[in-house]
Amino acid sequence: MAVKTFGTEVLTSADTNTYLANSGLVYVKSQTVGTTVSSVTVSSAFSTDYDNYRIIYTGGISSATAQLSMTLGSTASNYYNSIIYCLYSTGAVLGIGNNNAASWTYIGYGSTATVMVSCDLFQPFLTKNTLMSSPHVQFAGGVGGTNQGILIDTTSYTSFTLTPTSGTLTGGTITVYGYRKA
Amino acid sequence: MTRPNIQIDDEVREMTEEEYEALLATGWTEGTDDN
Repeated sequence: MAVKTFGTEVLTSADTNTYLANSGLVYVKSQTVGTTVSSVTVSSAFSTDYDNYRIIYTGGISSATAQLSMTLGSTASNYYNSIIYCLYSTGAVLGIGNNNAASWTYIGYGSTATVMVSCDLFQPFLTKNTLMSSPHVQFAGGVGGTNQGILIDTTSYTSFTLTPTSGTLTGGTITVYGYRKA
Repeated sequence: MTRPNIQIDDEVREMTEEEYEALLATGWTEGTDDN
C-alpha cells in the first residue's frame, strides 16, 4: 500500500477501509478466561490467513505464583526453548534451557496480582517447524528476560493451550492477532 | 478433593480424573503466592 499523508481533510470511507485493511497486526479472535482454570485452550487461532501471530494475555490473575507454559494442538514433545534473564537488583544475567520438552516453558507469568503473556509464533499453521519468541516479565524472584524457542515437527496447528505450572488462572482475555502478509 | 477446571474455548468444566493425572504428571502443583 502506498503511503498517503493526510492534512486537514475528512477521510473518505475508501481511505479508511484501505488503512483498516492494511494494518500491521490484524485481530483474529479473543478468548475470555474463566474462573480457576488450570489450562486454557484456544481453538481456531491459526489458519491460512496469516503465517505469523502475536498472542497477548492480560487482565487476569493466578491463584499462585506460576510460570505459564504453551503447547500447540495435542503435541507434547519436541519443544525447545531458552530463557535469558536478568536480576532487577544486580543486573546479573542467567539462563535456563528447555531441551526436547513437553511444552514451551516460561511463555508468561502469573501471580495473585497479575498475569502476562506476549508471545510471537511463527508459521504455526504451515507444515514447517514453529518458532516462538516472547518477553518474560515477573516480580517474583526479581527477574525479567527473553524467551526463544522452536517446535521440531511439521504439523499444521490451529490451536494452542496455556497452562500455569502452579495454581489456576482466573479472568482476563487472550487475544490473537495475525501479522498481515501483504 | 475437587479437581481444577479445564477450559476449551468457552467451555469450562472440572477436569476428569485422567486429565488431572496428566496435569500432575507435568509437575503442576497447587502452589503458593510470592506475588
